[in-house]
Amino acid sequence: MSHQRRFWIVLLLAWSLGPLLWQLYTSFCSDQALVAPFAATPERWTLAHYRAVLNSEPPFWRYLVNSLIVGTSSTLLTLVIALPAAYALTRLKPWIARPARLLLLAAALFPYVLLFLALLEVARSLHLGNHLLALSLPYAALSQPLAILLLTAAFRDLPLDLEDAARLEGMGLWQRLRWVLIPLIAPATTSTAILVFLFSWNEYPIALTWISDASLLTLPVAMARIAGSSIYSVPYGAYAAATVLGSIPLVLLVLLFQKSIVSGLTSGAVKG
Amino acid sequence: MSLRLSNIGRRAGQQWILRHLELTVSDGECLALVGPSGCGKSTTLRLIAGLDPADEGTIELGGRDVTRLPAVQRRIGMVFQSYALFPHLSVADNLDLGLKIRGIAIQERRRRVSDVLERMRLKERAAHKPAQLSGGQRQRIALARALLRDPLIYLMDEPMSNLDAQLREDLRPELRQLVLRDQKPVLYVTHDQHEAMAMADRIAVLHQGQLEQIGTPSELYRDPVSLFVATFIGRPQINLLHTESNIVRGVRPEALQLQDDGLPCRLTHLEWLGASQLWYLDSPQGALRMVLAADSHVPETLRVGWRPEDELRFDAVSGRRHR
Repeated sequence: MSHQRRFWIVLLLAWSLGPLLWQLYTSFCSDQALVAPFAATPERWTLAHYRAVLNSEPPFWRYLVNSLIVGTSSTLLTLVIALPAAYALTRLKPWIARPARLLLLAAALFPYVLLFLALLEVARSLHLGNHLLALSLPYAALSQPLAILLLTAAFRDLPLDLEDAARLEGMGLWQRLRWVLIPLIAPATTSTAILVFLFSWNEYPIALTWISDASLLTLPVAMARIAGSSIYSVPYGAYAAATVLGSIPLVLLVLLFQKSIVSGLTSGAVKG
Repeated sequence: MSLRLSNIGRRAGQQWILRHLELTVSDGECLALVGPSGCGKSTTLRLIAGLDPADEGTIELGGRDVTRLPAVQRRIGMVFQSYALFPHLSVADNLDLGLKIRGIAIQERRRRVSDVLERMRLKERAAHKPAQLSGGQRQRIALARALLRDPLIYLMDEPMSNLDAQLREDLRPELRQLVLRDQKPVLYVTHDQHEAMAMADRIAVLHQGQLEQIGTPSELYRDPVSLFVATFIGRPQINLLHTESNIVRGVRPEALQLQDDGLPCRLTHLEWLGASQLWYLDSPQGALRMVLAADSHVPETLRVGWRPEDELRFDAVSGRRHR
C-alpha cells in the first residue's frame, strides 16, 4: 500500500516538476551540450545564458521590476474594489445577491482573450498605451469576478455575532471592516492576492498590445522577444535562463505565504 | 434612566414574530425573558440593541427615544450566547478595541482594561487569544467587554448556556453582582426557567411572540395566568388533571400531600433528589408527580390529596386561568 502510494507520488512529482527541472538544466547548459546531450563536450556547464540575459539592453531585471510594478498595483486595485464588493454581496438581500453571484461566475468563466481587441481600442482612445500602471486597470477588472467570489466565501464563513458585537462596540461600517472583518479573512485575502498577482505576472495578450516601449515590457512579452529574437536560431539557453529568473519571485512569494494560501483556498469548505 | 418598550412589534415577511410587547425595566433591576425557542426573546434583545429594526412601537432608553437610533450609537452592553469575542485579537486587545474606537486616550484605556481584568481575575490571561481560554473565561471576557462599554443597559442572550451545569451555578451570583453593581437595567434571556428564577428580580414569559405574563418569580410560580406559564415555571412540572370537560386542573408536585381521604395511588417510580424525593404515582385521575421530604417512607396504602386553594383551574381550550 505505502509502496504503491510512494510510486504514484513520485510519478506525479516527475510529471509536474519535470519540465521545470528540464528548464533549469537547460539554462545552465552550453549551446554545444544542448544540441548533443550525450556527446562528451568539454564545456558542459556555463553561466553564459544568465550573463547574456542580464547584460542585454535593457537588462533583464528591468522587466522583473516592470512586472512587479504591474503585479503589485493590479493586486492592490483588485483588493480595494473586491473586498467591499464581497462584503456587500454577503449582506445584500438574496434576490439581489444571488443573480449578482451568478453574473460574476459567468464573468469568471468568460475567456478574456476575446476581449483584448476591444481593450486595445479602449487603450488607444484613452491614451493608456505604454503606461505600466494603466495595465493594472484591465488586470484588476478581469480579476474582479474570481476575487469577489473567493472573498465572498470567506466573509460568509464569519459568524454574524462578530459583526453585531463590533457594531455594539460603536464601530461604523468602515471600522468594522478595518478592525474586525478584513483581519479575520486575511488568509483568504492573501490567497486571492496571490492568484491575482499570478494572473498579472503571466498575462500576455494585453501586455503585448498595450506596451510597445522596450523598456516598459512585462516579463512574458520580454521573454517572447528573447525567444523570437532571431529567425535563424532558437536561443534555448537564454530563454531558459529568463524563465528561471522570471519564476524566482513567484516561488519566493508562494513559499512565504504557503500556510495562508492553503487555509485560504479551503475556506468555505468547512467551518473553521 | 431605564428601559421602556411600548407596543413593540417585529415582522418576518408577513408573519409577526413579536407583537404588542410592553415592558419596562428599571435601573438596577434584572428582568429575565423566558420562553421556548422561537418565542421572540432573542428578537426582543436584538430590537433593543438596534441590531434589527422594530416594525412597530417605540423603545426608550434612559429617558430617550432610541427607536430610530442605529446600534452603533445606542450604548448597549451585550453578552452573546456565542460570546462573539474577536478571535484574531488577544484578550487585552478585545477589551481595548471598543475604547480605542470611541477615542479614549491610551493611558486611560490601559488603566480601564487592566482594572476590569483584575475584577474578572483574568489578569494573567491578557495576552492570550480567546481560543486559548476556557468557556467560563471567555464568558467573563465577554462580560468585561460589556462592562467597559459603560452602557445604559445590559443585554444578556443566554450567556451561560454553553457552560457546564456546575460552572453555571458558580457564575450566577458573580454575574448578578457584577452587572447590578452599575445600577443599570439588566435584561437576561434564557430558556432555563431555573436560571431565570435564580437570576432575576422579575420574569417575563414570552409565548409565540406575545408577552404571556410578567412578575416576580414567586408570583409566576404561585399565580400563573395561563396553562403555559404554569407548565413553564416550576420543576418538577405541575401535574395536570383532565377529569372535567373544558377544565384542566393543575396541582404543583410540592402541594400534593399524603391524606387518608385522598386519591388511591400506586407508586411506579421513585427519584432521589438529595434534599427531597420525587414520586411518580398512578392515580385514577392520571399520572402524578409528588415531591416529599427526604425522610418520607412509602406507606402501605398510598392516598394523595391537596388543599383546594393549591389547585389551579385553567380553561381547556384557551389555556387561560379560571379565577
